[in-house]
Amino acid sequence: MMQVPGDVQIIKEDNVTHSFCGLACVGWMYQKIKDSFFLILGTHTCAHFLQNALGMMIFAKPRFGIALLEEGDLSKSEPTLEEIIREIKADHHPSVIFLLSSCTPEVMKVDFKGLAHHLTTPDVPVLFVPASGLVYNFTQAEDSVLHALVPFCPVAPAGEKKVVFLGSVNDVTADDLRAEAEELGIAVGGFLPESRFDRMPAIGPDTVLAPIQPYLSRVAVKLARERGARVLNSLFPFGPDGTRAFWEDLAREFGITVDLRDREKAAWEKIRKQTDMLKGKKVFLTADTMMELPLGRFLKNAGADVVECSSAYINKKFHSRELEALAGVRVVEQPNFHRQLEDVKRIKPDLIVTSLMTANPFVGHGFVVKWSMEFMLTSIHSWSGVFPLANLFVSPLQRRSLLPAFDEEVWLEGVMPSAE
Amino acid sequence: MRLAFWLYEGTALHGISRVTNSMKGVHTVYHAPQGDDYITATYTMLERTPAFPGLSISVVRGRDLAQGVSRLPSTLQQVEHHYHPDLTVIAPSCSTALLQEDLNQLALHSGVPEEKLLVYALNPFRVSENEAANGLFTELVKRYAAPQEKTAAPSVNLLGFTSLGFHLRANLTSLRRMLQTLGVSVNVVAPWGAGIDDLGKLPAAWLNIAPYREIGTTAAEYLAEEFAMPAIFDAPIGVEPTLAWLRSVIEQLNITGAERGVPPITMPKLHNFSLDGINAPSGVPWFARTADMESFSNKRAFVFGDATHTVGIVKFLKDELGMKIIGAGTYLEQHADWVRKELEGYLPGELMVTDKFQEVSKLIDEEMPDLVCGTQMERHSCRKLDVPCMVVCPPTHIENHLLGYYPFFGFDGSDVIADRVYLSCKLGLEKHLIDFFGDAGLEYEESSSSGEPHEALSAVSTGNGQSAHGVTPESESASGDGDMIWTDDAETMLKKVPFFVRKKVRKNTETFARESGATQVSVEVFRQAKDSLGG
Repeated sequence: MMQVPGDVQIIKEDNVTHSFCGLACVGWMYQKIKDSFFLILGTHTCAHFLQNALGMMIFAKPRFGIALLEEGDLSKSEPTLEEIIREIKADHHPSVIFLLSSCTPEVMKVDFKGLAHHLTTPDVPVLFVPASGLVYNFTQAEDSVLHALVPFCPVAPAGEKKVVFLGSVNDVTADDLRAEAEELGIAVGGFLPESRFDRMPAIGPDTVLAPIQPYLSRVAVKLARERGARVLNSLFPFGPDGTRAFWEDLAREFGITVDLRDREKAAWEKIRKQTDMLKGKKVFLTADTMMELPLGRFLKNAGADVVECSSAYINKKFHSRELEALAGVRVVEQPNFHRQLEDVKRIKPDLIVTSLMTANPFVGHGFVVKWSMEFMLTSIHSWSGVFPLANLFVSPLQRRSLLPAFDEEVWLEGVMPSAE
Repeated sequence: MRLAFWLYEGTALHGISRVTNSMKGVHTVYHAPQGDDYITATYTMLERTPAFPGLSISVVRGRDLAQGVSRLPSTLQQVEHHYHPDLTVIAPSCSTALLQEDLNQLALHSGVPEEKLLVYALNPFRVSENEAANGLFTELVKRYAAPQEKTAAPSVNLLGFTSLGFHLRANLTSLRRMLQTLGVSVNVVAPWGAGIDDLGKLPAAWLNIAPYREIGTTAAEYLAEEFAMPAIFDAPIGVEPTLAWLRSVIEQLNITGAERGVPPITMPKLHNFSLDGINAPSGVPWFARTADMESFSNKRAFVFGDATHTVGIVKFLKDELGMKIIGAGTYLEQHADWVRKELEGYLPGELMVTDKFQEVSKLIDEEMPDLVCGTQMERHSCRKLDVPCMVVCPPTHIENHLLGYYPFFGFDGSDVIADRVYLSCKLGLEKHLIDFFGDAGLEYEESSSSGEPHEALSAVSTGNGQSAHGVTPESESASGDGDMIWTDDAETMLKKVPFFVRKKVRKNTETFARESGATQVSVEVFRQAKDSLGG
C-alpha cells in the first residue's frame, strides 16, 4: 500500500490483466500528427495486433507500418532499416519518422537510440519511441512519443508566459480549449502535439504546461526539468467538477482569478437527467486506458458509488489531485483480473467500464458495460465535453432498460459451446 | 526484414488460442508481455462470447527479466484456483520464446499436476496461425484419443471446426442437416465445443470428416493410422462435390456397416436434403442454365485465399457456373502443392503463392477481373479499383460473423455462394450501363445503400470512429436531416459523384459544413470537405 496526501490508499496488485501494449498509441498518434510515419520494429504479433484489436483502418497508404523481424533477422546483431526507410520516404514523404520499439527487439537488446540516430538525416529525423509491452501499457506510449518530440519544441524565451496543453486531442477539441483559454485571458502557446511536426509549440521557463490527458507524466517531468516549465497541478478537464478546477487553477497560474462556480452548477444542471440516473449506481472500472482516475472522480462527484477504480499506472505526484478527490474510493494499480472477476460477482455493480476484451463476457454474466476505449474516441474535454461524457455512462444503462427481459438459458444456447 | 502493413495469417499464439477457445475446460496461459493477449478481443468481439475465453496472460515485464523473476507458477496456481481447467496449455510469445526458458520446469513449480499442463512452445518465427492450430489439435488428439468400442449405429466425427473459422456455425449446421437426412449421428465435433472427454471418445465413430485442409487433416490421418478409422477430406463446396461427398460418406460407412452386420445406408431422394424436405435441395443447377446467367459465361474470375476455399471456389465457379478462371492464388505456402494438385487443369497459368497483399492487389489491378473471390483484404483492394469482389475465406472479419444462416458447405452453401456471385457481379453489369450511357437517363434511387463503402478493415471495429473526429452524440443525431442548404453549383457537383456513394458524400459534407460553421454547402465548402474527408 502506498500513502498519498488525502489519505488515499492505492492497492498495488500485479500479474494477470487484460489490456493492450504501448503500440496501441499508433492508432491515434499517426492520425494526430499528419506529416508523420510510425514505424514499428516488431514481429508478426505486433502486425496482427494492430490490424485486429484496434479500430485500425487500412488506407491506400497507411502512415504506419511494421518492419517485420523474421527468423533470419534474429541472428543479425543490428537490424538494417535503410531500405525500409527509403521505401517509406519515397511513398509518404514524412517530415518525421517515429521508430517504435517492441518486445522482441528489446529482448534482443537492439540499440534503438543508436539506430534512430544512424537513420536520421538532416531533413527527416528518426525518433526513438519506447513502446514495448515489457514496460508500457496502452496509452503510455503517447508519453514516449511526446518525449521524443521535446527537442523539436523551440525554446520559448523567459517572460513569454503562455500555456501549452499537453496531450493529443482532435482539432475540434483543441480549438475549443484554445478559445476557452483565450476567453479567460490566458495566452495560448499551443499544444504538444500539434497536428504537424514543424509546428510544435515553444516551451520555456515561463510556459505553463496543462496536462489534458492523464497518462503523460514522464514528458511533463522532462519538460519541467529541461525547460523549467511549470506543470499545472489540477484535476483533468473532464466533467463539470474537473473542468472548473482545471480552468480556475490554470487562470491562477496566470494571476487571473476566475470564479466558475456558476458555470459548474449550470453544467451539472445540463446533465441532471444523466446524473439522476447515475446517483447511487455502483460503478466498477477495471483498468484499461489509464483514463480511469478522472473518470472515477467524475462519477463519484456525479453521485455514483465507485466500487473500484483501477488503473494500470498511477503516479502519486502527477495524479495527486485526482487521488485526493477520490478519497474513500478503492483505488487499485495494476489490478489482477481474476480477483476483479470475483469481486464483480460479489459486489454486482450496476455498470462496468472495461476493455474491448472483457466487455461482452461481462454482459454475458448479466452486467451492463461500457467500453473504456470509447472515452478516448469521444470529445469529452472541458465544458463542451460534459454532455457527451455523461451520456457515455448512461447510454448503456438506458439501452438496457429499453430491452425486454432476457432468458439466457434460451438465447445464449450454442453461442459459445466451449462455455456450456 | 520487410515493411508490412497487413498480414493474412495470424500468429502461432493466435492459432493455439483458436483451438483452446473452442474447447470446454481448456485454458491457455500466455507467458508474454503486456498486450499479447489482444487476441482475446477477437473472440469476445467477433464471436461475441458471453463468457470469458479461457485465456490468461502471465505478464512478463522488463524488470522481471532483469531480476530473473517469473510469474508463471503463480499464474498457473491462480488459473487452477479460479477456473479448475482439465488442461492448461502454456505458450510463449515471440519475445519470450527468445529467452529459451525451461517452461516445463517453471510450470511444474506451480504444483499443478503435470497431467493437467501442456507446454506448447513453437517457434513463433517459423510457425503461423494455421500450422499452430493444426499442430496443437493433433497433439491433443494424440494425447487423449483412447481405444474403445465403436458406436452401435453409424456415426462420424467432424474435425477441424475451430473458433473464428469462416462461416463455421452455418457450415456445421449444413453438414449436420445432411448427416441427419442420411440417418447418421455425429459422435464428436472437435475442437469446437469439445471437452477432453470428447477427444477421448473420438475412436468410437465409424468415420472422420475433416473438410478443412488447414486444420484437422493431420488429426484425422493420425486416427486413421492409430485406430484404423477411415476419413473423408473433401470439402463439400458446390452441388456436384456435395453429391460426391454424400456418396463417399455412404460408401465408407457401409464398409464398416458390412463388417458389423449393420444394414447399408442408401442415398435418400435428393429433395429430402432441402430445407423443407419437398423441393430441389439447391437452386444452382437450374440457375446456372437460365438465360440471364448466359451473360456470366464469359465473366473472368480471380480467386485468392486459404487452401480449402481457393480450391472449392475455383471449381464451383468453373464447373457449376461456367465462369472463366483467369487465375488463383493462396497465402498458405505450406499448402501450395496441394492446391496446385487439386486445381490441375483449372488454371491458365501458375498458382500465385504470396503472403503480400500488395502483390495480389497489383495483379487484380493489371487483370481487372469481372469477379474477385478473396479475403477481406482483396475486397478492400477491389473497392479502390472498382472491381466486384466477394469474400470467400478467412481471416474472418466482423462481417463474417453474421446472425443469419450463410453456409458455404453443402447444397445450402451452393445457393449462398451462387447468390453472392450474382449480387457481386450484378452491380458490375449495371455499372457498365452507367459507364456507357451516363446515369442521366437512369432513375437510380438515392436510397440505394448496397454500394456504400465500409472503410474499416480491422476485424474488430469499435463502431465509433465518427466520434474520434469530434462528432458529438448531439450533432450525430442532427446530421443528415436535410436542414443544410446546397447551392445549385454544389448540387451539380454532387451529381457527378457515382450514385452509390452520393448519399454518403452528401451526409459527410453536411456534417463537415456544420462542424466548420458553414450555413450552406457551396462549391468551396464541398471542395474543402472532399479534401478533409479524403476525397
